[in-house]
Amino acid sequence: MFRHDHDAPNERFEAALSHLFAQYREALPDPEPSPDFTPRLWQKIEARQSTNRQVKWLARGFVTAAAAVSLLIGVFLALPQNHVSLFYTTTYLEILAADQGPDDPADVEMVRVEQAVHEPSR
Amino acid sequence: MLVEFELISRAREGDDSAYSQIVQAYRKRILGTIARLIGRPEDVEDVGQEVFLRLYFSLDQLRTPEVFEPWLYRVTVNAAYDYLRRHRRRREARMADLSEKQVMMADAAAGSRRQEAEQQHKRVRELVDSLLGAISEQDRILLSLKEIEGLSLKELAKIYHVNENALKVRLFRARQRVLKAYAGSQAAVAHAGGRE
Repeated sequence: MFRHDHDAPNERFEAALSHLFAQYREALPDPEPSPDFTPRLWQKIEARQSTNRQVKWLARGFVTAAAAVSLLIGVFLALPQNHVSLFYTTTYLEILAADQGPDDPADVEMVRVEQAVHEPSR
Repeated sequence: MLVEFELISRAREGDDSAYSQIVQAYRKRILGTIARLIGRPEDVEDVGQEVFLRLYFSLDQLRTPEVFEPWLYRVTVNAAYDYLRRHRRRREARMADLSEKQVMMADAAAGSRRQEAEQQHKRVRELVDSLLGAISEQDRILLSLKEIEGLSLKELAKIYHVNENALKVRLFRARQRVLKAYAGSQAAVAHAGGRE
């Protein structure tokens, strides 16, 4: 019966394996390409080129759009801001201070004048 | 070289008729290499088309026409590797089936001494495919290029862009693994033969 040591494959196997590879080479000769090999290849090349063109066109469109948007934003920011803001720009305390500010001395005087007018009649 | 350097230069500059001539010259050889690398005749043309498609779109990256063939082999190896990775085989099952297959081969051989050449080729193909299933896709391709395609270490170094010593080590390890699988299969055959 055949004995085999898995850890040390001998020279006979080496030679047999080399022979087997050579036989494999003979068993699988270069195949003849089908008649439509080249036409099919060109179809694929053209399809890939068309896809590449579309991707380039889209990419160029995106770049142009991004440049236009950037330009618009730049122009908008560069314009002087004359309009009234739609948003509150003052704090609540500032508004209160503006309404109930330090008493106007003229108002105080008016009160005193009124009192002076009423006293003699009493 | 199967074509003139001048033709490669023209193709690189975008001459489609020059590229067609290159395809015409190399397609048979490349299809043969692919057939032996992937071991599936039904998919050889598709992988071959992928090779020439990739080559067309990468030709402008070729530095000089002198390195065209290693470049073409490199593209072929990458396409074959991608194919094998996509169609990863169930190696465990294949290896488990190996001894059974060998037993059947031994039975067939014992039953009839006269074998058709095609049957013999088929058996060789099945056996080598099974053995190469014992190693990774990358090693399978490397070993096939060396042992079956007959490329030299120098040529392989150009294709893989690594030094020859590193390739030697990788090849040695891959071959040892295949050898082990082969020894195992032969033991199974001998065992089956001994039962008769």
